[in-house]
Amino acid sequence: MTDKILTQKNRVVRHGAMELIEHWAIALSGLILLLTGIFELPVGKRYYIIDIPGLGWSADFITSLYLHYAAALVFTAAAVFHVLYHGLRGEKELFPRKGDLSESVTVIKSLLGFGEEPPMGKYLPEQRLAYAGMALIILMLIVSGLVKTYKNIYAPDMSHGILLWATWLHNIGFILFFLAFLAHMAAIALRPNWPMVRGIFTGKVRLDYARHRHLLWIAGMEPEPQEPATVEEGERQLLPSGEEPVMKKTEEEDLPPEQVTQEENKE
Amino acid sequence: MKKEKDLKIGRRSFLKLTAGAAALSGMGLPEKSFAGTEQRLSTLIDLSLCDGCVDREIPACVGACKEINRDKIPQVIDPIPEPWPRKTIEDWSHKRNVSDRLTPYNFIYVHKADVRGAGRVRTIFVPRRCMHCDNPACATICPFSANHKHKNGAVVIDQDLCFGGAKCRDVCPWEIPQRQSGVGIYLNVLPGLMGNGVMYKCDLCVDRLTQGKLPGCIEACPREALLIGSRAAIEKAALSRATRINGYLYGKTQNGGTATLYVSPVPFEEINRTMIKKPGQPDMKINVERRMAGTDTLGKAVLAAPVLGLAAAAVAGVWRRIISRQEKAGREE
Repeated sequence: MTDKILTQKNRVVRHGAMELIEHWAIALSGLILLLTGIFELPVGKRYYIIDIPGLGWSADFITSLYLHYAAALVFTAAAVFHVLYHGLRGEKELFPRKGDLSESVTVIKSLLGFGEEPPMGKYLPEQRLAYAGMALIILMLIVSGLVKTYKNIYAPDMSHGILLWATWLHNIGFILFFLAFLAHMAAIALRPNWPMVRGIFTGKVRLDYARHRHLLWIAGMEPEPQEPATVEEGERQLLPSGEEPVMKKTEEEDLPPEQVTQEENKE
Repeated sequence: MKKEKDLKIGRRSFLKLTAGAAALSGMGLPEKSFAGTEQRLSTLIDLSLCDGCVDREIPACVGACKEINRDKIPQVIDPIPEPWPRKTIEDWSHKRNVSDRLTPYNFIYVHKADVRGAGRVRTIFVPRRCMHCDNPACATICPFSANHKHKNGAVVIDQDLCFGGAKCRDVCPWEIPQRQSGVGIYLNVLPGLMGNGVMYKCDLCVDRLTQGKLPGCIEACPREALLIGSRAAIEKAALSRATRINGYLYGKTQNGGTATLYVSPVPFEEINRTMIKKPGQPDMKINVERRMAGTDTLGKAVLAAPVLGLAAAAVAGVWRRIISRQEKAGREE
């Protein structure tokens, strides 16, 4: 557990370096796997992808296989590492809990402007559900991918029944993984989730955001700091330094650069 | 009369060989059944015996294959849906009689090679069909596993599972499989966007083998230039024949090894010179690498990846424990 409140910096450590490495190893290798997996279908020539500069190799199935294997090596090792490392440490924060489904509906409704979000822990209920779903998809892909790899190298004449199972699990897993990736991107496109994007790059999120949205997480961590660096939404009060730490101002830290510029220009 | 004499010699050679090689028991003989066995089979094509059936309208092997597979391809839909965006359609349904190249309706043809050497021209006839490779990329790389290598060595495309994407043809060094558009499972999915028919090629008459019959081409060959038998027996026979005629072998090492061995009295370089590679008419290059072999090392690393992840987790776990102990000791001090 690397979570830690950094009051003076208005940050909470949400992910340790190890978790960031795991996430990005899975994410980047997963993207390469998706792309080269698509190129293992005969689409390069048919859809003129080979004419796109830099993608001339897209119809060469053996080149795609080299890349697919290289990414699969990272993807599989990172997934096994993740399960064992966190499993042995008994970390269960991302496991779905009872009531996550109905709570997810409440959160999604609130994102659309209906009702209030319930108090939440480190992860949102839909994050826990998404984690379980993604874990299942990744398990499907890895197991079936290993069977297919074994077949490629050692047993082209393996049982056709087993091979058909592996093939279709892999193909369905590919579709689900692609959909899950789109859903993941859609989730971070929602403005209320933007502060978490910083977390997956730097490991830290804004403390005032965490207080506001992940109340149960912050409450369960450290004793309340004596002089909170942030304020409740709507209030304005001065920090000991005399600055104005309003929610709106700190929120700007998580906006994309161009949007910050636009908003500054308005002012 | 000459033909009769040749035939006798051919048959005598065959029988002599059969007697000479103990392992040849059952090789190419109809009464020996391969039914229900997982015995690895190979075939032998003896170019010193094949005469191209020049006295027939089409060679016997080609005719037998055509007859056996006459009704294999279902009725082609009319009109064939136009694929998008590349509009390639391959329709052989109106050219079923073509027999001088591979088509979805013709799985074997005979190439006539006029080989020049030692001041004369020697005509060699070369039956061409799928080589049934030992580790066939056409099968292993099929995205739907519609193409599969059977235990007996036959590489077979299941026409009910194939989408006709032609990956198998792209990765085959001889570009053997041929596409018929307008048939197959793709018609029931998104015919304009996905798939383009079904790929067809020789399946070594796998159904006939399970019934205890010989592949059609082998059964029909009047000169017994084509043989089938256990892998060991065919390899032994091929080597023995090649040695006896001071000849040459093809198919043993090409593309990582195949279940088809050609024996020729003339070098395959010479035969290959007479071949101009065209769609449905493969050449016979000597150096045919199995391209997928290059990926095997990385593939083995993938198979070891779970162990790598496990080891990394153990190391990281121990390291983390050491760090936290040090931190704890530091705090206590």
